[in-house]
Amino acid sequence: MVSLTIEGRPVTVPEGTSILEAAKVAGILIPHYCYHPGLPVAGVCRMCLVEVEKAPKLAPSCATSVAEGQVVRVHTERALEARKGVLEFLLINHPLDCPICDQSGECELQDYTYQEGRADSRYRDPKRFNPVEDFGGDVLYVPNRCILCTRCVRFMDDVAHDTVLNVSERGDRALIGKFEGKDMTHPWSGNVVDLCPVGALLSKDFLNKARAWELDRVASVCPSCTQGCNITIETRDLQVARLKPRPNEDVNKFFMCDHGRLNYRWMNRTDRAEQPMVRTNGALRSIDWDVAVHAAASLLRDARVYVVASPMLSNEALYLLSRLMRRGDGSGAFRVATGDEAPLAGVEDLALRRDRAANVNGAELFGFKRAENPLEGMRDGDVLIIADDDLGRIASPELARASHVVVIGTTLPEAARDAAVLLPITNFAEEEGTFTNLRGRVQRFTQAKPAPGLARPSWLVLGDLLGALGAQDGFYLPSDVFASIAASHAAFSGLSYEALGMRGLPVLESQTSGAAR
Amino acid sequence: MNAAGHANAPYAPVFTGARKAELDELMTRYPTKMAALLPALWIVQEERGWVPSEGMAEVAELLELTPAYVKGVVSFYTMYHQHPVAKHFIQVCTTSPCNVCGAEDVVNALLEQTGCEELGVTSPDGKYAVIEVECLGACGFNTPLMVNEKFIESVTVETVPALLASLG
Amino acid sequence: MGFPHKPHERETLVLSRHFGEQEAIGLDGWRKRGGYVALEKALKMEPAEIVQIVKDSGLRGRGGAGFPTGLKWSFMKPGDGKPHYLACNADESEPGTFKDREIMRWTPHALVEGCAVGAYAIGAEVAYIYIRGEYTEALAKMNAACKEAYAAGILGTNAMGTGKTVHVYVHKGAGAYICGEETAMMNSLEGRRGNPRIKPPFPAVAGLFGMPTTINNVETLTAVPHILNNGADWYKKMGRADNPKSTGTKLFSVCGNISKPGNYEVTMGFPFKDFLYDLCGGPLPGRTFRAIIPGGISVPIQTREEAENSLMDYEGFVANGTMLGSGGVIIIDDAQNLVKQIARAARFYAHESCAQCTQCREGTAWTTKILERIRDGEGTTEDLDTLLAISENMTGTTICVLSDSCATPVISGIKKFRPEFESLIHGRRSHSVLSAVA
Repeated sequence: MVSLTIEGRPVTVPEGTSILEAAKVAGILIPHYCYHPGLPVAGVCRMCLVEVEKAPKLAPSCATSVAEGQVVRVHTERALEARKGVLEFLLINHPLDCPICDQSGECELQDYTYQEGRADSRYRDPKRFNPVEDFGGDVLYVPNRCILCTRCVRFMDDVAHDTVLNVSERGDRALIGKFEGKDMTHPWSGNVVDLCPVGALLSKDFLNKARAWELDRVASVCPSCTQGCNITIETRDLQVARLKPRPNEDVNKFFMCDHGRLNYRWMNRTDRAEQPMVRTNGALRSIDWDVAVHAAASLLRDARVYVVASPMLSNEALYLLSRLMRRGDGSGAFRVATGDEAPLAGVEDLALRRDRAANVNGAELFGFKRAENPLEGMRDGDVLIIADDDLGRIASPELARASHVVVIGTTLPEAARDAAVLLPITNFAEEEGTFTNLRGRVQRFTQAKPAPGLARPSWLVLGDLLGALGAQDGFYLPSDVFASIAASHAAFSGLSYEALGMRGLPVLESQTSGAAR
Repeated sequence: MNAAGHANAPYAPVFTGARKAELDELMTRYPTKMAALLPALWIVQEERGWVPSEGMAEVAELLELTPAYVKGVVSFYTMYHQHPVAKHFIQVCTTSPCNVCGAEDVVNALLEQTGCEELGVTSPDGKYAVIEVECLGACGFNTPLMVNEKFIESVTVETVPALLASLG
Repeated sequence: MGFPHKPHERETLVLSRHFGEQEAIGLDGWRKRGGYVALEKALKMEPAEIVQIVKDSGLRGRGGAGFPTGLKWSFMKPGDGKPHYLACNADESEPGTFKDREIMRWTPHALVEGCAVGAYAIGAEVAYIYIRGEYTEALAKMNAACKEAYAAGILGTNAMGTGKTVHVYVHKGAGAYICGEETAMMNSLEGRRGNPRIKPPFPAVAGLFGMPTTINNVETLTAVPHILNNGADWYKKMGRADNPKSTGTKLFSVCGNISKPGNYEVTMGFPFKDFLYDLCGGPLPGRTFRAIIPGGISVPIQTREEAENSLMDYEGFVANGTMLGSGGVIIIDDAQNLVKQIARAARFYAHESCAQCTQCREGTAWTTKILERIRDGEGTTEDLDTLLAISENMTGTTICVLSDSCATPVISGIKKFRPEFESLIHGRRSHSVLSAVA
């Protein structure tokens, strides 16, 4: 361990730590662009220059290791002048695009210029111009705004192992380039947009959609596969506008794949089940929640139950469903869409997984079986609970074997139009809960937008249903449900929302052998 | 310039026969394939007069690099041409030591006598183009210039006509 | 010799003795002139012995940095189990410098021998000679010399019959001044863009291909066989008696507005005034020297007075407002437009910047634009302040010193020749619309 002082604050860090990282530990942010903890060090932007006592030149703190007894000053006049100089150089060719640039409001050039830059420009000559380029995939490149930090080039090279970007030309003619015909098709290439400190690399999907300061943000987990990348859901006017990765050293580092990133539109769907409904006189009619719940309970009370669950449901919902299932001497299954695996080669154990749903592991942990045809295991006469499977490619005659159909879901599938009861629930973006990823890591997600109509959280509806069937534990919060899981399942023993925090924790080793892929 | 140097002709691989053998031998000099990149690009330019995209792709494949990577390297170095150049591509040094000795007069004489009139513009007969380059390392033998791969020193305004005549 | 002129009697011809002799170029002719005696001797010595002799001689890097060569070689730890490399920097691109090309085209075997001795001394089996792509003649002659040396068994896996391995390979550059920077040269050799690397790690720890590497200039390596043949004391004696820090001879490339441009070899500490007026023939008829840059365009510009007071060694030039650098002496006389030349120098740096560091990438181009505006009569007094501020921000803040090198002629030019700039500015104070009317 090495002890040094940064801006008067003593700090001790492992040998080999950079001054910049040590400063973070000391609670000091040294302005920087090209440095990123997920990428190899470049040391080219020269923004992170600090003064080190007894050293004649300013040191690039991202590329300088700490030394015992070092005294580092970040805000001396010399260091401030140097950083001010860098900002001035970066701005001389930078277009005055803030009013039309997507990065505005979350732009590090804006931020540091406001903090440490000049108030005026001394540049009197024409600015350099290059036209916008489509890099393929979701990525647009605006060379005029580029500060040549090379984060994008290093990401594609060292992390994605797909060297499709380069630095072209020399001197002030330099810009990021690629080879004609070879585009940003890599499944993780969208991360360069996050990495770009300025508005040079933009998402086509997000282009001109919202201003950064109009977005509300909540911490969540990506629901599009079993990897469980930590994300932030960003909404504007109560609609999901964008997903971005959230750093988690143990799951996804700083990244998420393009499939997950762009797969959010379904969260805004308006063709939703919004009212509780009960079949009376041959037709489904809207009715109060209490009546609907009790109608469902009366169907389930003395019946054998079969559940078609969705692997997109939270641990909380699946747990309560499994109690319904066992109470009814029943069984249940789930199916999951699959696709090709797409690893991020430069990060250990990180991939877009084959199973394209968040909670396959949770579904299996709570006793649901994976099946191509989820109705296969149903016995004639069972009461069938459809828990948010959209019944695609399943025709209504297949449900005919069930004595009654209870739909607890975000939509009423066409094939279940003869259902006896419909209980509308929230989708993942509209509720709070946890998922268990393929490695057995339990992670929390939180609510990003309100539910439509009268739809209620899945765990709340299921808890009320169990209550109507005689269960004594009432659940007012999803954390209560989780506590119940922790108390009754060895795998989850000792866990709680508080313990999980927003980065999750693994369940016991013995339980991670699920077939989630 | 052979037919393969023309921008519109289909690309025939460079690294066959003797040239492939040459590259194979060069590769034994370095512990990595990547280190043979500049030598390989020189072979392409020697064969074709410039480095076409297909040439970059061919080299990339042979050296297990990506075409984008190779292009990034090609674009860094002044001597690799990413477009076909004139038959007599005249590059005159005009950096300060030559500049104070009349290099710009030599440039102007060349521009006039080749018919190019402007820097970087090919002459109407397609034979010449004249550009300025940075220090060629013959500062005491000014003005030095290169015509494609040929290095010619001690060019003066007076010797320009003879120089052009010798190029054919 | 003041090659291509006849040698001046006050020159000391060591490296340049055989410039102009066609017969010296081939192996047989070179052997007749004492070639490969040093290598034969060296291969029978312990590498550490050779390093000590070079240390004792006081030889310093002739590429521009002036780092003590023996000391640099001693950084290469023997017996570490890693392949060592010697890289000879023949990328000579510093404007005003044209000595290495003469060494290579007149005495190619001298360099082959120097590389072989150097490689052996630092425990390397492979030496690469990185020659700039524009040096067609040097490339042809060095390639031919290596071929001859391999055929004669001087190089290869049984170097001079000793069973030891010495390889010397020529590597052709492709047009980039920055590849003369030692870490950029290594990147270029590895097949990358010629970007300088951050130090540490230093080349002797992790250089070419991540392995311990020493980089030496052509002139430095060519001096080594002479030192081995004649002894460290012989080399040390050449220089000023009162300055033991600068020893041996130096090839000075003289160009610009001078009567006899060419390469001159003199002992360290030679009086610059004598050099310019006597050896080099003084200014052109009817002209006087105005500005002199003794070490290639990256060192501070001297006034005529400063130059005439200088002694030609590392310390002597520092004492007179500049540096020895590469020894490329550029003479600018009173008929020249100094602002135009400084603008042209800035344009050179702007063209050659590798684009990694913000200050260099943007600053070299910005500096050029301002200087060209001043040159064309569109400058203001504000511009001079801006130039100096930009130059200060470009100094000491980047990965390599190209940035500082661009700032140097600007700072020294404005400091020592300010009236030239001001006369072009015509008292225009600012760019504001109001003052344009005045």
